[in-house]
Amino acid sequence: MSAAAPLAAARQDPLRPEPGKLPWRTWRRQLLAVVRLELRKSFLGRRAVGLYLLALAPPLILALRALKPGGVSDPNDLGEATQIFAGIFQGFIVRLVIFLACVFIFGGLVRREVLDRSLHFYFLTPLRRELLALGKYMTGLLVAAVLFAGSTLASFAFAYLPYSGGSVERYLLHGPGLAQLGSYLLVTLLACGGYGAVFFAAAFFVRSPALPALAMFGWESIHFLLPPLLKQLSVIHYLQSLCPVPISEGPFALLSDAPSRWVAIGGLLALIVALLVVSAFRIRRMEIAYEGE
Amino acid sequence: MSANEDRIVFQDVSKFYGEVLGVNRVNLSVPPGITSLVGPNGSGKTTLMNLMVGLLRPTRGTVRVLGIPPERAEELFRVVGYATQYDSFPRGLTGYQLIYLLLLVHGRERREAEALAWRALERVGLVDAAGRKVAAYSKGMRQRVKLAQAIAHQPSVLVLDEPLNGLDPMARAELIALLRELAGAGLHIVVSSHILHEVDLISDQVVLINGGYVVAEGEIGGVRDEMEEEHPIQVLIRCDRPGLLAARVFEQDHAVEARLAEDGRGLLVRTRDADRFYLLLNRVVLEDGLTVEAVAPADADVQAVYGYLIGAPGGKS
Repeated sequence: MSAAAPLAAARQDPLRPEPGKLPWRTWRRQLLAVVRLELRKSFLGRRAVGLYLLALAPPLILALRALKPGGVSDPNDLGEATQIFAGIFQGFIVRLVIFLACVFIFGGLVRREVLDRSLHFYFLTPLRRELLALGKYMTGLLVAAVLFAGSTLASFAFAYLPYSGGSVERYLLHGPGLAQLGSYLLVTLLACGGYGAVFFAAAFFVRSPALPALAMFGWESIHFLLPPLLKQLSVIHYLQSLCPVPISEGPFALLSDAPSRWVAIGGLLALIVALLVVSAFRIRRMEIAYEGE
Repeated sequence: MSANEDRIVFQDVSKFYGEVLGVNRVNLSVPPGITSLVGPNGSGKTTLMNLMVGLLRPTRGTVRVLGIPPERAEELFRVVGYATQYDSFPRGLTGYQLIYLLLLVHGRERREAEALAWRALERVGLVDAAGRKVAAYSKGMRQRVKLAQAIAHQPSVLVLDEPLNGLDPMARAELIALLRELAGAGLHIVVSSHILHEVDLISDQVVLINGGYVVAEGEIGGVRDEMEEEHPIQVLIRCDRPGLLAARVFEQDHAVEARLAEDGRGLLVRTRDADRFYLLLNRVVLEDGLTVEAVAPADADVQAVYGYLIGAPGGKS
């Protein structure tokens, strides 16, 4: 430990905001630093392998179908591909893959650090805890969005791969193909954001994300049986209404009017904001007492 | 500047964990210089430190650090650095990355953060190990990287929870020298230890805590000499040739006892003068090539020491 100049220079704080002004530049830098640190800690290591495998599952299934000889009845019948992709997207990608990924990603953003006993490093910096919550959520959203938008895109490509090139080109460039792909990507982003916010907030109230995840999974799974009023209390209700191709939910489904596009988007965004406010409030009041964990 | 704006002030502070007492009715005013919180394990030292920096909130009372309430983290941690006792770190980071990335979280510019990180690592002697993962560090290196993280942003209040734990004699001496240097520059340094002897040498002020209560505070000066006469210090040394060390210890007039460990890899020394013992240990390492794995104060009689100091049953009043 070498001697060095005294630390008295510390008193001249270059980061102190000017009186009456909010330190937006410092906040932006801090937010980016949180995202960078979170990415390095949680999503670039072996811990994240399961997440990457989960994201690979849908395109892998559709790639196997594409490569299977005789997997397609008529190479010009794109309606079949559209229905298959709609079913896989709504029934598998959104309801299972993205849902589980959000439990893993967002449920662990704070909880894992409590269990690792390393959350205090953030609490010992001049970072507003609300910004920490926002930074962590943004990291989760970034990771989930990149992985699952990529997964959706690849799945879409593999769904249409076995069909005739000319038909696919017409469907994409002169038909509804690109607009449908855009809608699927939007639903993917909103699903990551919505489910993510739910599990991010839940982690401040319960020790294990398994319980809220199971409860929510059950609720979302029986959504098609719920009366119209209760349907409005599920995330999947709004996500489904944004999907470009409806799928059958079986003979026992209770039908209800789908919300308009803007109500669905606005409702999901409002849910995300509300849950982030709750999370910010909780993290502001949080104490470090690892011994009780 | 009001009278309390250059002090760390606890006003009637209590903290309960449910029904369990953390600390009770603490009133303290800590001036600049080195202040040691000393007490047995579980006495409330860490609770006091965590209250000081807002990791815990008081059940009752108020805390101010240089006039700043701990809940205003964005102001507090511009002037406070804290090395906790938690021996855990964010995963996958090297020593340099840990310090650098946390400085970015402080809001520092990249180039400034780089310079500050290297400077902090240099101060704690970790430049050579900066590129290694913290998870692969020894206990002593982890203590030092925690210290680097606490001083990297150049705070004016430094809070260190058991900073001497796990350090070898050389590192201890270096850390103590660094703390003295920082205190000389006008910093507030608050250090905790359950070994009174470790910190009373460097402290301007000592606060004794027991059972969640502050039982004594102030300069203890002469108490140490008297205490050592009554209660020799015990030190456990893990090394390759404890027999050699024992022989050298017995040549000293301050040695009370030297006992070999059953596995032949350790020596328990009781001495009335720990300073001279540590000097001897350094000499044996340098002159005889003794390889030391660990040095730990093993003051099993610490409760008796507190009894002695505070006049509780079993101690000398």
